[in-house]
Amino acid sequence: MTLGRSRLASVARRQGVLIAFVLLVAFMFATTSTFGTYQNLINVLQQNSIIGIIACGMTFAIILGGFDLSVGSVTALASVVGATIMINLGTPGIPIGILGAAAACLFVGATNGWLIAYLAVNPFVATLGTMTVVRGLIYVATNASPRFGVPYSFTTLGLGRLFGVPNPAIVFLIVAAALGFVLHRTRFGHYVYAVGGNPLASAQMGVNAARVRFAVYVLVSLCAAISGVILVGQTASATPQAALGYELTAIAAVIVGGAPLGGGRGRMTGTIVGVFLLGVVANGLNLFGVSPFWQPVATGLILIAAVAFDGYSKRAGDSA
Amino acid sequence: MTDFTNRPDAILRVEHLSKSFGAVVALQDATLHLPAGEITGLVGDNGAGKSTLIKIISGVLSPDSGSIEFRGKPARFASPAEAREQGIETVYQDLALAGNLAVWANVYLGREQTIGPKFLHILDKRAMLSKTGEMLERFIRNVPPIAEPVEMLSGGQRQVVAIARAGAWGSKLILMDEPTAALGVAETKAVEDVIFGLKRQGLTLLVISHNLDQIFRLTDGVWVLRRGRVIGYRQTESTHPDEIVSMITGAAASAGAGA
Repeated sequence: MTLGRSRLASVARRQGVLIAFVLLVAFMFATTSTFGTYQNLINVLQQNSIIGIIACGMTFAIILGGFDLSVGSVTALASVVGATIMINLGTPGIPIGILGAAAACLFVGATNGWLIAYLAVNPFVATLGTMTVVRGLIYVATNASPRFGVPYSFTTLGLGRLFGVPNPAIVFLIVAAALGFVLHRTRFGHYVYAVGGNPLASAQMGVNAARVRFAVYVLVSLCAAISGVILVGQTASATPQAALGYELTAIAAVIVGGAPLGGGRGRMTGTIVGVFLLGVVANGLNLFGVSPFWQPVATGLILIAAVAFDGYSKRAGDSA
Repeated sequence: MTDFTNRPDAILRVEHLSKSFGAVVALQDATLHLPAGEITGLVGDNGAGKSTLIKIISGVLSPDSGSIEFRGKPARFASPAEAREQGIETVYQDLALAGNLAVWANVYLGREQTIGPKFLHILDKRAMLSKTGEMLERFIRNVPPIAEPVEMLSGGQRQVVAIARAGAWGSKLILMDEPTAALGVAETKAVEDVIFGLKRQGLTLLVISHNLDQIFRLTDGVWVLRRGRVIGYRQTESTHPDEIVSMITGAAASAGAGA
């Protein structure tokens, strides 16, 4: 009996965010004429894809029982490194720029992974450290000034569309599908849940917990690298101050999507809903002419409400 | 004691095993054996060296001196994984299962079945789900819901799953440290049924327990440790709890010396 009840509660918990999202979208359609326009929906996709890609990686880190604060800095690193190479080498240098951005981010991700997995540094401390160091190094290298002059052809990636869908959204879709497959269908994803749920038991059963942790932090940085490169594609330039605070928005989206900070739980589809829930709220405030300064307020309130609802429905499930 | 150590059917022999932690001698010149196919108890007061002995056998700790022979061959396990490969499985108190994973996923943890291209390691959930039932039914009368997360099960069901998992993978010897600590009467009964089920399948079991009633219910023989030394072995049917208690406490020193 308790089993059935708690399963019901868990369904309500998992679907709660989706229900909230559907209601929100319905409300937006009903109260505005602008929300449902093609141009606005494209905007929502365009604006949330970069955070969405980061959130896909972050989902792994949070299910593992950690998180990664360095993703904002790593996104900026990718865009500065990528843009610098492309500016210097011109159009033929585009693939080199992408590879260079990926390599720089891989290095940061490997550092995070090494600190957390092999030196047992707390994820908060380790990634707060790399977040600060990387941002500082970007300022040193660029003298805090933006990089202009990326070949204009590269904006196809950031501003172009395929079948009417913005390219960044297509990249987001591909990343989400690929990482959702890895998380839910492969042994590696299974081990992310196992280590997040009980690291000791996993290790005793022969799961190499350190290797799983290392790989996850590399993966998170790789997602940030993709976002950073798209950022270059949107502006044909790179700013050292780019992606400030993205780490917290991404973490908020994952948590709103149903993955608690304690680890062991969460789904890729939840993260996608979380990203667009926050995105549609921001868009809605915009459409209603509310000052953009209110946007973080809304994000924070949604985050708290989602976690409080999760805790409430869990307690209701337990006491049933 | 020599009579017993010379028994040809011993699956595990421990010879002159010693282990110290700094100035503390945890185990001193311990020599004992486990008869194949039997349930053997390991009793002793706190600090007698029971857990140290189990940790050495299972590869968690390495001894300062002495040797282990498993299935007729010298054995020295550098890690629990090595011991497991050789067929020695350990059931830990409460640490064994990942609560967020389903029963089948815990049974297969670290041994997942995969399908498709090798490098992708795609989980064959359907196969694992259906085989888990068969594997557990060999030892458990009421198999808990296999697709349910372990955290939805009672403490007793969890322990039943952990012990049955240890037996499901073709291991020869299972070590259990207080398998029913913190369980109620009915749940203890269920766990003991599984332990008997493992014995029926031909496995050898070593059980640490502070509960002498349980030792007498479960075991064929008992080893007694006191302050890091092996005091003696008694066949369960030819001893009495009073004798075991006096061996544990050292009240009857002559009984210990004679063993």
